[in-house]
Amino acid sequence: MMQALRDCLLFFQRDLRVASSYRGPFILEIIEALFGAATFYYVARFVDSPQLRESLPQGISYFAFSLVGFAFFDYLHAAVDSFDRSLEEARDTGTLEPLLVTQVSLPVVLMGSVLYPFTLTTLRVAVYLGWGGLLFGFPLRAANWMSALAVLVATVLSFAGLGVFSSAYLLLFKRGNPAKWLFLGVSSIVGGMLFPISVLPRWLQIVAHLNPVSYALDAMRAALLEGASLRAIAQPLLILLLFAVVLLPTSMLVFSWALERTKINGTLSHR
Amino acid sequence: MFSPVRQAIKSRVSDSAITIDSLEKSFPETQRGWRAFLQPFSAPTLKAVRGISLQVKQGEAVALLGVNGAGKSTLLRILATLLLPGGGNAVVCGFDVAKEPAAVRRQLGYHAGSDTGFYARLTGEENLRFFGRLNHLSDSVLRARIPALAELFELEDSIRKQARTLSAGTVQRLSLVRAVLHQPKVLLLDEPTRSLDALGAADFRNFLKKEVLQKQGTSLLFASHTLPEIEYLADRVAILKEGQLVAVGTPAELKNQAGAETLEEAFASITGHSSRSLEETASS
Repeated sequence: MMQALRDCLLFFQRDLRVASSYRGPFILEIIEALFGAATFYYVARFVDSPQLRESLPQGISYFAFSLVGFAFFDYLHAAVDSFDRSLEEARDTGTLEPLLVTQVSLPVVLMGSVLYPFTLTTLRVAVYLGWGGLLFGFPLRAANWMSALAVLVATVLSFAGLGVFSSAYLLLFKRGNPAKWLFLGVSSIVGGMLFPISVLPRWLQIVAHLNPVSYALDAMRAALLEGASLRAIAQPLLILLLFAVVLLPTSMLVFSWALERTKINGTLSHR
Repeated sequence: MFSPVRQAIKSRVSDSAITIDSLEKSFPETQRGWRAFLQPFSAPTLKAVRGISLQVKQGEAVALLGVNGAGKSTLLRILATLLLPGGGNAVVCGFDVAKEPAAVRRQLGYHAGSDTGFYARLTGEENLRFFGRLNHLSDSVLRARIPALAELFELEDSIRKQARTLSAGTVQRLSLVRAVLHQPKVLLLDEPTRSLDALGAADFRNFLKKEVLQKQGTSLLFASHTLPEIEYLADRVAILKEGQLVAVGTPAELKNQAGAETLEEAFASITGHSSRSLEETASS
């Protein structure tokens, strides 16, 4: 276990070194996050209405609601995209085969490769919220950070399974997974990123409850905006962990099977 | 009742580093149009390796010789656990490549013959350190070995530069360093000197012979089109034709068998190729 963690860290260090060889982009991302936060602030002022305030949890501004939604939707993107992207990069640079003949196991290669993108996403989210708190009155002091951390871990674990499924598809069919974009599109509507799912038609609300994104956003908003304790967010947290328990091992099995098919067909390094 | 090869596999304790028994490998035909969607599930029908049986003893160097498409790289990739065999067995240091791939990888160093496979934005040293750590070498071992190998391969300056700035030959030397860095028991090399200049190739051959084969006692299975290289390095030569092993023996035995003066003539005689087609193969 300790060896696996150490191996995962090697991938993180590798990606950090690669990223630091490109100076500048991270600073640009911080500035970009400022523009993003400002956009949500002014859109929120523009669309503010009594009807909107009624749909939101009490005392929560639309700016805070939508900023959390937008920032944490990034996690979903990172999860379904990072596995694909790291696999694609390894294949295109020819490093996939050298990686697969080393002594690290396949789950470590996969998990290690997404550690940096997830960390970067966490930093980006922090910067978004930081700008929101610093300049636009985002209620940072209301947050229960322990609860937020618990939701974050459960969110990453549950979303990671979706990413592994997506990379299994990429391994087999060599092209990006169209289901991934469908999932992201559907989640952007039913996940409750920019509006509460209570405003959706009944049948879409049912779809929303089958989607881990809606639980992640509900729990994260409760933790960050209402200071909810772990006990208060136990239900969405458990549902997220349930998604993780089902999706992670299943997706790993599917990925192993996909890898076996490519080893049978000789298409491991094919583009 | 059992062939010596089968007995070696069953006992798991033998003096052979690699034991290949009746190995088969086929690939599916390339599908086009809408059928391409079914490609991953197509039945493998194109035979690339046909019933090859071969042993490489501990400390022995065996060369794979054959024209392009003879099955040399496929055989090496099966042993490196990058391909699954379609039939038969392949065992490396007592571990089955299909059933115990992780254990096999602990014994292996593999060079695919390509001049890619490194992170372009990392330096040569950072790349070697990364792959070395993935092979569970400690920092102190890496600190000692990387400069020593860099000196041997004349990479002292190159390893401080980003991989994207290195020439194809330099990247190939880096790849060879990566393959031997963890001092594996078995070394699989696919055309190891293909992109190297004449002096670099000679240095590498000397390194393989003196350090890897004689000093460390590593077993070596390598594919090459360079006949002087094969004669210099290989204890035995396995000649492949259309996925089949058609002859195996020392260079002298093969020459005797074919009644030939040179290994090139012996190869041409055994495989039924003309010398001219061989020259084309070597230059391709």
